[in-house]
Amino acid sequence: MTTAPLLAARGVSKAFFGNPVLRDVSIALQPGRVHALLGENGAGKSTLINLLSGALRPDSGTIEVDGRAVARMTPALARQAGIAVVQQELSLTASLSIAENIGIGAYPKRFGLVDYKELAARAKAACKLVGLDEPLSTPVGNLSLGRRQMVEIAKALYRRPRVLILDEPTSSLSATETKILTDLLGRLRGEGVAILYISHRLNEVMALCQHVTVLKDGTRTADRSLEGTDATGLVRLMVGRDPGDLFPKWQPSASPGAAISVRGFSAGLMHDVELDIRTGEVLGIGGLVGQGQEDLLLGLYGAIPARTASATVNGVSGLPGNVPKANALGLAYVPADRKREGLHLIHPIITNMMLPAFARLPSLKLRSRKAEGEKGRGLAAQLSIKGDLQRPAQALSGGNQQKVALAKWMPHDPLVLLLNDPTRGVDVETKREIYLMLRAFAAAGKAVVLLSSDTPELVHLCDRVAVVREGRVVRMLERAALSEEAIVSAAMGAERRKVAA
Amino acid sequence: MSIIPSARADGALYWQVQARRNIGVRSLFLVVLAFLIAYAVLFPGLFTVSGFAKFTQSWFPLALVAMAQAILMLTGGISLAIGATVSLGAVIAATTMAGPLGVPGGAAAVALAGLGIGAATGFIVVRLRLPAIVVTLAGSFIIGGAALLVLPRPGGAVPAWLSDLLAGDTPAAFVLLMAIVLLWKLYLATPLGLSLYAAGENPVGAYRSGVPVDAARVAAYAISGLLSTGAGLFVAAQTGSGDPVIGNAFTLNSIAAAVLGGIGFLGGQGTMRGALAGSLLLSLMISVMFFLGFTPVAQYVAQGLIIIGAVAIPQFRKVQQ
Repeated sequence: MTTAPLLAARGVSKAFFGNPVLRDVSIALQPGRVHALLGENGAGKSTLINLLSGALRPDSGTIEVDGRAVARMTPALARQAGIAVVQQELSLTASLSIAENIGIGAYPKRFGLVDYKELAARAKAACKLVGLDEPLSTPVGNLSLGRRQMVEIAKALYRRPRVLILDEPTSSLSATETKILTDLLGRLRGEGVAILYISHRLNEVMALCQHVTVLKDGTRTADRSLEGTDATGLVRLMVGRDPGDLFPKWQPSASPGAAISVRGFSAGLMHDVELDIRTGEVLGIGGLVGQGQEDLLLGLYGAIPARTASATVNGVSGLPGNVPKANALGLAYVPADRKREGLHLIHPIITNMMLPAFARLPSLKLRSRKAEGEKGRGLAAQLSIKGDLQRPAQALSGGNQQKVALAKWMPHDPLVLLLNDPTRGVDVETKREIYLMLRAFAAAGKAVVLLSSDTPELVHLCDRVAVVREGRVVRMLERAALSEEAIVSAAMGAERRKVAA
Repeated sequence: MSIIPSARADGALYWQVQARRNIGVRSLFLVVLAFLIAYAVLFPGLFTVSGFAKFTQSWFPLALVAMAQAILMLTGGISLAIGATVSLGAVIAATTMAGPLGVPGGAAAVALAGLGIGAATGFIVVRLRLPAIVVTLAGSFIIGGAALLVLPRPGGAVPAWLSDLLAGDTPAAFVLLMAIVLLWKLYLATPLGLSLYAAGENPVGAYRSGVPVDAARVAAYAISGLLSTGAGLFVAAQTGSGDPVIGNAFTLNSIAAAVLGGIGFLGGQGTMRGALAGSLLLSLMISVMFFLGFTPVAQYVAQGLIIIGAVAIPQFRKVQQ
């Protein structure tokens, strides 16, 4: 390529609260090329987009437009330079019409008023490109998620972009809509638009893109033409890394027995799940973010409505209908969002630890501070939580907060632990401790269900991994078959391609 | 209002959008119509010029404060200072209009006070990112105190001709209200006005789309202040004098009217025509119960029950869907 890239990042780095998210990453978007950006959840893709579109500023490195470095990239500057971003979270307003949403921020004006005639003409043209044929006056709130996504894309096209950045545009689109989008991107490419395309669907990437940049843990592991690569090769580029000795040595558990068994289970996004959870094992739940994994845990825990054809939980038939019943059956759930769901941050650590115990006490019995204190110190020692237990929980680091969220269930000796991404945002040392703890639980004959967005964790810690895609358990990988490649391929539906390759 | 033909010319987009906005408030319009009929039966004088004039005059200040509250709620805000601002508008009108400033000068002072208070409140809420409910609660003490400083006890005067014009036997209040509604429609047809909805419902998305979110919200507070002091001026004209606590009831009534009119607390939900219908319904409810001989206490209880019912019914429908 001899022409200057329309938009480029040169050696950019970005850290949040001391956590490096991107390290020395470069990317160059050429006119007339569809450029794929790949990486696992948390690899830094969204941060890179935000840097390119001026929503964030890099700690070091530069952003270049037309080959010239821009000192301070802002969203306004990016818009002037013809950069349009279709974000993953939609930027639409439900109560405004399709046309008003498409034009917002760039309305045509006449005498200071919105020129609805001009707006209708231009919005119609943009809608036609993406195959939206609903009346322009339809409020966006009446549209399905897929149609809203199309409005979002039409909104980007309305601004006649030179650079179009699409962050997982097809995640909520039907096959027909995806086809329309694919054709459209091909046409835009022919018109010399530079396109950055982020998707977890590898077959789409293979069909649509000419060039690929792969991010892993905030560093660039590949930047090459897509010619001559296959889906398997791309997966390897995304996950290949050394797990090191972070994980305890895996040992088979002695005597697996049935803990939970469900048939025809549906809850939230999940449907028709058949699952056996055994005592003495760590069962991993893998897959891309937001495929319904959390609903699986919450449904088992009785926190959201669930239906089953048949279910047995610790020898009792039927699912628990609410959280207290689940607790009584020996289930405990540790949520992913510690700050909002797991802990009461402004309250003392000890209060947080005692909360499930409060639920079990007779309602009007007086509290014994002394007994609570002893129990709390015992738990703190057991899980090595350091410091004064009277401090508010927010004074603890993320890792220690997670330990408190775990500790509060320990006095009840739960038989089944449902853990939702327990190591997210946790430092390496605490991760190690949590891993040891989880294996110890399994060895003690408990069932541990580990939902995780961290693939190595699933590979090295779990006895079996259920991979969830689009609300179904698509694969159950046994210990012998566990590998990062196997999980990621199953999660992305790249298996068929792998067979073909 | 019925089915929108999709094959109409592009120039009709504005009207199609307007027609769509009626859908959510149709049932409210029917309820208002039912109350209007009940009112007309109980009070046949509605169909004379002076009867109609009196009727719109009792509605007018409530309509204004309902608009003042609705514009804030659309941006995701709220104001607990509306009543105090109405009082301040009333005492400024009563102390200036009979003096050397005259009616034009007094009206200008009332308008400036409203715009200034609103803009200052908006600036504090939006730029300092403080919760609107706390800022406006504090504001209500400050503004209410200012009203008492201007006029410690009821007094002052509004020229008799102005009282006759606004609160006499002519439907001037109705004409004025229609003019205000028209101005609102014009404002909503500007990019800044239309941004209100986006800024209220999805501020992050709106900001990314290039919407001046902060400016839209501060402007909403300024307009809200102007409407509130305007209502105060009208109340002063109605009574012929100023009273530093006359507006107090308007704070909660403005919220009640907006909520009855289908304005959501989360921002971006609802329409101004809904808020106006809500204020008319509230005004009619009060009158009808008065004619039916409810005691004031029973009126309050009934009013509260109706408001809870009006908010709960759409919620139930949503759950069933």
